[in-house]
Amino acid sequence: MFERFTPEARQVVEGAQQEARDLQHDRIGTEHLLLALLTRQGTTAASVLGRHGLTRSAVVTEVARSTGTELDASALTSIGIDLDAVRTSVESTFGPGALDGRRGRAGHIPFTPRAKKVLELSLREAIALKSRSITDGHLLLALIREGEGLAAKVLHDRGVDLPALRDEVRLALNS
Amino acid sequence: MADTAQVASAASSKDPAVGLAAVRSLRVLVERLEELQVGNAREQGWTWEQIAERLGVSRQAVHKKHARGRGPLRRRD
Repeated sequence: MFERFTPEARQVVEGAQQEARDLQHDRIGTEHLLLALLTRQGTTAASVLGRHGLTRSAVVTEVARSTGTELDASALTSIGIDLDAVRTSVESTFGPGALDGRRGRAGHIPFTPRAKKVLELSLREAIALKSRSITDGHLLLALIREGEGLAAKVLHDRGVDLPALRDEVRLALNS
Repeated sequence: MADTAQVASAASSKDPAVGLAAVRSLRVLVERLEELQVGNAREQGWTWEQIAERLGVSRQAVHKKHARGRGPLRRRD
């Protein structure tokens, strides 16, 4: 499937992995694909998203709000769990950083099922628009069509007009 | 003693924000521990079947969640 991706679209997929790593997330979700699309200045997806007022920092803020801090020591204390004690115990067996997911962070990060779905849908979007290759624009159309991931939620919460966004991407891809 | 009393009162807190935050963090903690333990079991040669049985879930469920190295763009770590 990836052989159909243009170099730009491949860079978006690889960029999404980097976004997840930078945010210390252990899965690549639709939100990381959206961030990677926004980062690639001058591409169809980035330009259209920019015209709809979506900035990278706005998405980062929304993502942070939705995901929150992961292991909250004080929240665990409230139900009688001593996170430090758990961490000490786990690290004595599995090594430093084991509980905080630092082990293997440098390696490959898996996609969430929704992000995978977006990659699959991008092929369908390309076929529907009679394009032989899958571009960043098709990835954005797929993100909109998937509609349930965090990326779709961010677009919705930011008041982005999704039908208009979709039309503009299609127009840009056909020109 | 003060700490114990504090914990006890928080544990019985009626404030949903406190209770839900605890549930959320506990879920993250469970996921982290499961990942470590499943990885360890695999390294020690346990089958998905054996792991699933101990976790009390189906073999398919545990395999789908933890198996790596298949599908597009997947690399072995």
